[in-house]
Amino acid sequence: MGDHLSIDERRAAEAGNSTAAGDARRPGRMKAYLRFFAAAFAANAKSALEYRVNFLVQFFGMVLNNAAFAAFWAVLIGRTGSVGGYGFSDVMFIWALVSSSFGLAHVLAGNVRSIGRIVMEGGLDVYLLQPKDAFVNLLASRTVVSAWGDLAYGFIVLALLPGTDFGRVLLFCALMAPGAVIFAATFAAAESLTFFLGNAQAVSSALAEFMLSFSLYPEGVFGKNLRWLFYSIIPSGFVAFVPLRIYRAMDWAVVPALWAIAAIYAALSKAIFNAGLKRYESGNRMDARV
Amino acid sequence: MRSLHSRLRCSYLAALTALRERTAYAGNFGASMLTYGLFVFIFSRVWAGAYAGDALIAGYTLDMAVWYFIVAEISAFGFGRFFWGLSRDVKNGQVAYLLARPYDFVGYHYAERLGGSLAEVGFIALEGLVAGIILVGPLPAAIAGVGAAAGLGRAAVVIFSLLLAGTLQFYLQFALALSAFWLEENDALYWIYQKFALVVGTLIPIEFLPEAAARLSLWTPFPYLSYAPARLLVAFSWEEAARLIGGQLAWIALGMALARGTFALGSRRVALNGG
Repeated sequence: MGDHLSIDERRAAEAGNSTAAGDARRPGRMKAYLRFFAAAFAANAKSALEYRVNFLVQFFGMVLNNAAFAAFWAVLIGRTGSVGGYGFSDVMFIWALVSSSFGLAHVLAGNVRSIGRIVMEGGLDVYLLQPKDAFVNLLASRTVVSAWGDLAYGFIVLALLPGTDFGRVLLFCALMAPGAVIFAATFAAAESLTFFLGNAQAVSSALAEFMLSFSLYPEGVFGKNLRWLFYSIIPSGFVAFVPLRIYRAMDWAVVPALWAIAAIYAALSKAIFNAGLKRYESGNRMDARV
Repeated sequence: MRSLHSRLRCSYLAALTALRERTAYAGNFGASMLTYGLFVFIFSRVWAGAYAGDALIAGYTLDMAVWYFIVAEISAFGFGRFFWGLSRDVKNGQVAYLLARPYDFVGYHYAERLGGSLAEVGFIALEGLVAGIILVGPLPAAIAGVGAAAGLGRAAVVIFSLLLAGTLQFYLQFALALSAFWLEENDALYWIYQKFALVVGTLIPIEFLPEAAARLSLWTPFPYLSYAPARLLVAFSWEEAARLIGGQLAWIALGMALARGTFALGSRRVALNGG
């Protein structure tokens, strides 16, 4: 990161740029961002599907990867009946939900785990010079091909679970969306630490690994001492354990609370990114987005 | 014709150079060690949950299951990624450059890749040992409860079995990687291999599988990748050691033949252009 134009100077030079909070206050701007997300998704999907064999290999590879763990759980719970208070259907549900939430986060916001690298390489300039909010623009400008397999895997498992009907699929989708937001927000916040630490790859990788791993196993096996972690910096509780309780009881009343929690995580993540952005210095790198 | 001595010396130097190269950047092992430690912790808790109402499942106690997982994952983590580098060398054409060198291609790569991985295996094994002692206590009685000399002898057999597992991993992954001579996208083959290896003997001992599946698995190479050393650590007997190590050696012979056959066929497809 070279010492040239500061971010404030650069942003002051931008015409029509605005913060997401400012955008939210303007009528029609939220709709514009949704249209932007849809356009970015369409462009990313087209790009991913250009290499069809690669796409299919990664898609089915990820499905297979997840299915291997299903075999493990079938064998283990076949022997023990339950583990940590979870039966086979419970474990499969959290695998389905976490897989789809994680997949959706990386399908729509494929750069979520590349923020640190982009910042370190001085590649943020290209996003700052465009009229859309840099955080949203950066996240949405890429899709991760293998994440499509994760997204699909959740629905495949859900279809195979006993008792799945239209109402449960709808609830699954209503739980998947905040899960995806929480995944993306947590990963983005960890990646944004690069602004402050210089290189936050180790912290970011560790957080991602921990969050994903803890989310895929029964909450009961971890004991009470770790519980506070799952509802704060490693929010596995909000992407797996609470949704399972909601899904078991078909309790729609709690869903809005989960959406509100997701919004808080998203706002915090954006605040960390924005705070870090003030420390960013352009390297005057020439980039083109094609 | 080059003597056996010079071949062995070449392999030794290749392994030593790769080992030195890897240990020069020991910090790179951090990610593997973190993931391995996380997995060991999580599975120790999963096993504790599974054993909540049982003292013995499929002949394994809780301590045995945790120690089993610790050793089985050493093979998966330490020897499980040969495929990527080899496959990449074929896809990007680097193999054409390597073919021109005056050494036995398969043998050289075996020495280089396995030698390089030994440092990581050592670090992970040490971490596993410490984690196991913290999580469930001393090493299983089959090793720690038979006296110092016998215990060391048995531990040496477990380490030998682990190295054979690494050798088998190399030859099987080498054959899969060289499928890139025919297939542009051969990653799926590795994923299938890796998942079978994971389910058959890595995440869970094969005694946990349904009886027919466990019997069938013994006719495949998968139990010899992780199960063999892990089983010997937790339930050592000389009869079982002979059976498992014999199986490993037989599969290594088959794997080596497969790797050399694939290389012989695949290398004919390399087109070299001067310049």
